[in-house]
Amino acid sequence: MSLLKLEHVSYQYDSASPVVLKDIDFEFDSGKIYAIVGKSGAGKTTLLSILSSLAAPTEGTILLNGEDITKTDKYKFRSRYVGVIFQSFNLLPHLTALENVILSMNISGKKFDRKEKEMAMELLKKVGLSEEEAHRRVLKLSGGQQQRVAIARALSYDPGIILADEPTGNLDVDTQQEIIGIFRMLAKEGKCVILVTHSPEVAKSADQIYELKKQ
Amino acid sequence: MYIIKNAVKSITRNKLRNVLLGIIVFVIAVSACVALSIREAADVAKKDALEGLTITAQISFDRMSAMEQMAKPEEASGQEETGDEQTTPEEPQGGFDRGGFDFDILQGSSLSLDEYLTYTEAQQEGDSYYYSGAFSLDATGDLLPYGTEEEDATEAPDEGNASSINDRRGGMENGQMGDPQAMGGRGGKRFQVNEGDFSVTGYSSYDAMLGMFDENGSYSVTEGEIFDEDSEALDCIISSELALYNDLEVGDTIVLCNPECEEETYSLKVTGIYTNETSSSQENNRFAMNDPANNIYISYKAAEAILSASEAAANTTTDSDGEETSVVLSDTLAFTYTFANVDHYNTFAERVYDLGLSEEYRVSSEDVAAFENSITPLETLSGAAFWFFVIVLAVGAVILVTLNIFNLRERKYEVGVLTAIGMKKSKVAVQFIFELFIVTFAAIILGAGVGAAASVPVTNALLADQIEKTQQSQETTNERFGFKDGRGEAPAGDIGGDPNAGEKGSGGRFDRSGTAQNYVNSVSTATNIHVILQLICVGILLTVISGLAALISIMRYEPLKILSDRT
Repeated sequence: MSLLKLEHVSYQYDSASPVVLKDIDFEFDSGKIYAIVGKSGAGKTTLLSILSSLAAPTEGTILLNGEDITKTDKYKFRSRYVGVIFQSFNLLPHLTALENVILSMNISGKKFDRKEKEMAMELLKKVGLSEEEAHRRVLKLSGGQQQRVAIARALSYDPGIILADEPTGNLDVDTQQEIIGIFRMLAKEGKCVILVTHSPEVAKSADQIYELKKQ
Repeated sequence: MYIIKNAVKSITRNKLRNVLLGIIVFVIAVSACVALSIREAADVAKKDALEGLTITAQISFDRMSAMEQMAKPEEASGQEETGDEQTTPEEPQGGFDRGGFDFDILQGSSLSLDEYLTYTEAQQEGDSYYYSGAFSLDATGDLLPYGTEEEDATEAPDEGNASSINDRRGGMENGQMGDPQAMGGRGGKRFQVNEGDFSVTGYSSYDAMLGMFDENGSYSVTEGEIFDEDSEALDCIISSELALYNDLEVGDTIVLCNPECEEETYSLKVTGIYTNETSSSQENNRFAMNDPANNIYISYKAAEAILSASEAAANTTTDSDGEETSVVLSDTLAFTYTFANVDHYNTFAERVYDLGLSEEYRVSSEDVAAFENSITPLETLSGAAFWFFVIVLAVGAVILVTLNIFNLRERKYEVGVLTAIGMKKSKVAVQFIFELFIVTFAAIILGAGVGAAASVPVTNALLADQIEKTQQSQETTNERFGFKDGRGEAPAGDIGGDPNAGEKGSGGRFDRSGTAQNYVNSVSTATNIHVILQLICVGILLTVISGLAALISIMRYEPLKILSDRT
């Protein structure tokens, strides 16, 4: 059984709007990197919103370990089972990198073996941030550093699925490679990494590519 | 827990916004504290004053009502009878028929002692009553009333002093008997009694005397002792002036007589001599018996013994009109009910009619009326404070809601991120409301402190202003009536949280002059636990109202839309 499965998923914003996604059937497994590619307006980000339950499909079902996520608590799903790395990072600017990560851990409501601060710092180091950078407000971090904070936040409650929207969109080539390296590492750890991208470089690093076509 | 941490961080992060919010709440809190304190001070002052107030009441005949009632049967009979026999052209149409007015109705309107006692059943535990009966007696032998010479004393009964009880006077003029309308004679029969040299008053109890002492200055027995209140013995106390004037001492006996019958004499033993500061300042009275120095006090039982003896010895004559006249001594009864509190008085005023008191009588208390007058400026201020409080609260709530809506718009992105990473909207709302609570309560604590410190001087300043306005109004009235004797001036009275307020100022007793009014002009405490609790309620109310706007906005926000709009 697939970790995450989309069955005949369709989406349109409202009845007067054109259909964005139509009859999508994708399957995602643990330990692999998936790339969702397609031209602008093909519905890549919309699909990511549906996968993270920020939007509900107009038709079809999304199964997580065989259970329809549209019928479960969407907040719980977002805070425990899926880690989302947004294109514009969506970090809280008034908090430090460390605080952003700790907050996410708190929201998940999970019980951790060690102190949250310690674990958060470990995660930030894992994605390549120093201790000094971890204590900086995110506004004072570079785009690449913010991307790393966003990844650390997505990993903070140890979700099985990592969703990333254009994770290398604003980064230089070297940083892109570093970030892709992090995703590879996560897949090796058994995470299901789903990347929404229009970058061929990123797509190449995926184990499987799903292409969306504009409706 | 992380919600609280987040809220605190958020407050420190948005200092400017929260300081602005705090200032607004602080101003509201100070204003509300002062307004609530004024109201509280008024309530406390009222309560303290009432606790220290000795409430006395009288039952009096409503003469106006009786006169109106008398007019009605005539009007009615005029309509029934078609002939002209009942109406003559000289009689005023629709006016009061003075010639036809039967003053015996007023004479007979006085309640008897038994009736007064019946109505004591309407009193409650802690209430009491007392009564006194006053009549006049003449001097005999060498005894002279104070302020008269020998010729005056001998002439007195035959000249201007003579005055019949049925000459429609309500009672004695010097006020010692309390409300003239409350007095009742032993009416029914027409008695002929001249005003004598001495006013003899019998008191039912020492309490009754204390009532008189309180009303008429500072009395104290300085030689000997007071008579036994339960004794029928003709023991009396006399004034120091009278004693000195006649060289009398404790243990001496004075012989007095019926002003209309010199043979009818009564021997009173002087058991005590009293001094009365008020009597020294009295102007010379036209009638000797009206001079406080010529007041002789005995027990009511002794008075009853004298009156019974007089009735037994009375001669009745019939004049040419066939009207009977008796020279029997008759007292003027003053009955006073005392109450533990205002509620007892109000209950009494209702119950007494169930016990058979006619609607033509009314129950009144000068103490309650004077008390209500005394707190008029404070009550006015309290009413104004209430509306000020309501306006401050309403305006404050509108400002806070508006400010909060703007704040939320600024923090829309934060809401979007928090909900996008899995924080429930309700928890986001709780965090935001908690932030409001912290800011609001910090400002309210500061505001309450400043308000508490300011409330007493502000209340007193406003109260002084209010009293001044009331006095100016009174003075304007006095000027229009041409009064130049200072009537309408308001002596000071201090009532507040101090339980001894009644002893300090006007808390216990009020000026009975009818013109000068003793206003409550200061409060000593204003902000107390009630005000603090009310302020907390204000804080909760303001937070809930402004938080509600936050809650509604947050619930309407969709994270996807917020984040896509930002992107």
